[in-house]
Amino acid sequence: MKRISKMDGVLLLNEIRFTLHEERPPLHEERKVLIMIQSIWELFNKEELFECYQCARCTGSCPAAMVMDSYGPRETLLRCLNLGQEAVITDERVWYCTTCHVCEDRCPQEINISELLTAIFNLAAQRGNLPEKIKFAVDMIAKTGRGLIVNEKVMKDRQKLSLPPLDPLNLDELEGIFKKTGLHEVIDLS
Amino acid sequence: MTPKKLPRKEKEEPRIGVYVCHCGLNIGGVVDCARVAEFASGLPGVVLSKHNLYTCSEPGQELIKNDIREHRLNRVVVASCTPRLHEPTFRAACEEAGLNPYLFEMANIREHCSWVHLHDKEEATEKAKDLVRMAVARAARLTPQEVLEVPVIRKALVIGGGVAGIQAALDLADSGYRVYLVEKEPSIGGRMAQIDKTFPTMDCSICILAPKMSEVGRHPNIELLTLSEIEAVDGYVGNFSVRVRKKARYVNASCTACGDCAKVCPQVAPDEFNAGLSMRRAIYMAFAQAVPSTYQIDMNLCLNKHGIVACDKCYQACQRQCIDYSQKDEILNLEVGTIIVATGVDVYDPTPLTEFGYRKFPNVITSLEFERLINAGGPSGGNLIRPSDQRIPKTVAFLQCIGSRSKRSNIYCSNICCMNTIKDALLIKEHWPETKILVFYIDIRAFGKGFEDLFQRARREGVTFIRGVPGEIIEDPVTRNLTLIGEDTLLSQLYRYEVDMAILSVGIEPRRDSPVIQRLLNLSCASDGFFLEAHPKLRPVDTPTSGIFLAGCAEGPKDIKDSVTQASAAASRANILMAQGKVKVEAITAVVDETLCTGCGMCVKVCPYSAIRQDPETGIAQVTQASCAGCGTCVAECPFSAISQRHFTDQQILAQIDAVTEEAPEKKIVAFCCNWCSYAGADFAGVSRMQYPTPIRIIRTMCSGRVSTEFIEYAFRRGAGAVLVSGCHIGDCHYINANKQTEKRVQRLWRKMERLGLDKNRLQLAWISAAEGNLFARKVKELEEILRGVTPEEIEKTKQALVPKKKGKGEPVEA
Repeated sequence: MKRISKMDGVLLLNEIRFTLHEERPPLHEERKVLIMIQSIWELFNKEELFECYQCARCTGSCPAAMVMDSYGPRETLLRCLNLGQEAVITDERVWYCTTCHVCEDRCPQEINISELLTAIFNLAAQRGNLPEKIKFAVDMIAKTGRGLIVNEKVMKDRQKLSLPPLDPLNLDELEGIFKKTGLHEVIDLS
Repeated sequence: MTPKKLPRKEKEEPRIGVYVCHCGLNIGGVVDCARVAEFASGLPGVVLSKHNLYTCSEPGQELIKNDIREHRLNRVVVASCTPRLHEPTFRAACEEAGLNPYLFEMANIREHCSWVHLHDKEEATEKAKDLVRMAVARAARLTPQEVLEVPVIRKALVIGGGVAGIQAALDLADSGYRVYLVEKEPSIGGRMAQIDKTFPTMDCSICILAPKMSEVGRHPNIELLTLSEIEAVDGYVGNFSVRVRKKARYVNASCTACGDCAKVCPQVAPDEFNAGLSMRRAIYMAFAQAVPSTYQIDMNLCLNKHGIVACDKCYQACQRQCIDYSQKDEILNLEVGTIIVATGVDVYDPTPLTEFGYRKFPNVITSLEFERLINAGGPSGGNLIRPSDQRIPKTVAFLQCIGSRSKRSNIYCSNICCMNTIKDALLIKEHWPETKILVFYIDIRAFGKGFEDLFQRARREGVTFIRGVPGEIIEDPVTRNLTLIGEDTLLSQLYRYEVDMAILSVGIEPRRDSPVIQRLLNLSCASDGFFLEAHPKLRPVDTPTSGIFLAGCAEGPKDIKDSVTQASAAASRANILMAQGKVKVEAITAVVDETLCTGCGMCVKVCPYSAIRQDPETGIAQVTQASCAGCGTCVAECPFSAISQRHFTDQQILAQIDAVTEEAPEKKIVAFCCNWCSYAGADFAGVSRMQYPTPIRIIRTMCSGRVSTEFIEYAFRRGAGAVLVSGCHIGDCHYINANKQTEKRVQRLWRKMERLGLDKNRLQLAWISAAEGNLFARKVKELEEILRGVTPEEIEKTKQALVPKKKGKGEPVEA
């Protein structure tokens, strides 16, 4: 399978942006009061982490750790606890997590590791510590409703496979979801 | 020494002495003891009130004794710790000073006050005052009681024939008592017989156990009952009657274990003793060193079922004609004075941990299976072979903490697996020094005598210890080699190790059928499922039921040495009872007032011990004192107040309710707690320093079955904000099933409150075990929420609505 290069995406995105800007105001204008998260402990019960005894079954099970050396939920958890949240949210490595929940499934202490990572993502994003690639993907979804780029080539491939063409999505609904989940409060989607 | 007969003065004015204990800073650090003592001096009947640092100390006890003599005290109240701890101490002190021990009363201001209200000193002091007021009110109404002595049968029953049961049985038999050793398996020996070597000395396990096993077999004082199970237990300390089912063996005692029968048997099944790694026949002997050394037929497997003989190959082969297909189960009724529970453990089954592939990958085995593989008497003749291709593995991995220290399996540390793995690793090194051994661990716990030495030896001999348990095991489908993927936490690096064989170092857990024993013997279980001891430090082998003792892993995971130690301790505790030949039974039994009894028979119906019978002519109830266990259910049930429980009379309990509700009753929760579970649970909350709100005032009864609807209604009539009735969980009742009556009674009252338009939420029923301190604390918090919602109007309404329509407590509840 041929990978879509980043440049393709950016070009396409600019195109979409250009067309969208005329019709709809940017999301942040509709924002209500921005709830700033001060600490990840507002989102996650710190006491739960004290139960971790660093058995490393989480990292041992982590598909992200298998491909990206130097990353692992065990270490993230320990750094969070001992070095404080700043050490974690400024670290780009946390974004390797795909929230597949395997770590959580196998954790002997039943710590909600995925929830912790989600809290870290939220705080990091709010502080602007969002890697470009992630920001790009979020923007894509916000603007097109899809995480993958739909261009001419994709359309042709679909035709070959006799799949129906992809229609533009209803973005109002998506925007509603973003608002309800508070995504636009965490990430500036302008 | 016989107890002195005391002159009984019926109308004696109470002269109460109150002693408020600081317990160092345990109480004194929170409760203002001086203020409590001063408050107590103003209570009716109190002639003397003191506070001291340690009342339980020798000078503290001397002080009480002197005061009894000097000030002619006829009641003593000590406000200190839980009566479950020091009541016997102070009772003995009173008795020495010539005061009947039943004229002593305790107020629990430590476990139920200072330790659970650490941060609210003012409220804690107020609560302590209330608790003392309650104790004084009850003390004023106490009467002297004569203690009944019952004989102790000089025979013992040991349940379980593992190393603990064997040791306990031998100790008792050597002391001269008759011992029945009941084992459900065909042979004694237990887990120790399955193990190859023992740590830390690397002794051969069966070599040191077998002599003990045969000693049991030939000891004149031991009656060995294998293939036997306990079916019913009745009675009380010193006088238990036990029904045992001795299952048919189908082979009689003249068997010489020649083995001719097994050679011809056509039926095969996995061998339990070899952890399923080899096969056995339908007629088989458990293992070579089995005691009794007799074959038996597994009738589930044998072709001859229901008396129809379809195959008689073994019968034909047996020269001594020992085989009898028509043998029946035998029922034995044993009379014993003491019981030792040594039921042992099961091994954790790692199948649910799918990431390790146990049962899916043949080369992933458990540590017990490993023991059978490395054992010379095992299926491979002591050759460590991998199950997939019977090759000797070059690389072996051990995975620690499988089924231990985890909320997904058992939360406790299994105690033995670390050392067992180190021993196993050294065993492999001993036989095949070239083998590469990897041990994946979280923590190595080498805490015992000689353990650290063994750990160091393993490291010196080249066993690799890697900190970090693998996340998963994957198998190469062709070579059947295993790849372990995980993280070395000390290097913060991911690893992939390819090994020939992986051994899951599995934990141990309570026997799957231990709830049966628990129910039969009325034992309590901790939250982990192991049997609960009477006191974790000072009575570690006693159970809350007197006359029953614990030995070995039934009480918690432990190694062979600790099991043997505990077994000897249990035997010695049982010995104390049997050597004396008699035991004092608490004077808390029920007594009938024949002038009030109408012979309705209600008490007979509710008595869990069948201790009450009706006179065939007059119908008047009669209580057999020796059978009465003192739960008080009959007392609560009697519609005519014709039965009372000694030391827990209606007057005494009502006086306690009066004392609670004397000041600001709407801010109080009156709680009735049973002595064995919920009171102990509240104590546990105290010991664990679980903080909960202050309004609760606990009244202790022996059983929740003692709590009559009248007590609850009386509390509401006095304006109490809320009432809690609590006892053991259904099925766990210390008095067989007396708490079923509690449940019925509370439900009856709920219906009545509903009918009268009252808020039935204010009456709560909770089942709290002795191990559930957190549950108790949570319940109190819940009650406080309810209390906050109760309006003065509601209280007034309840007061009016619950006024009895006629005199006496026999008001008809169901209209």
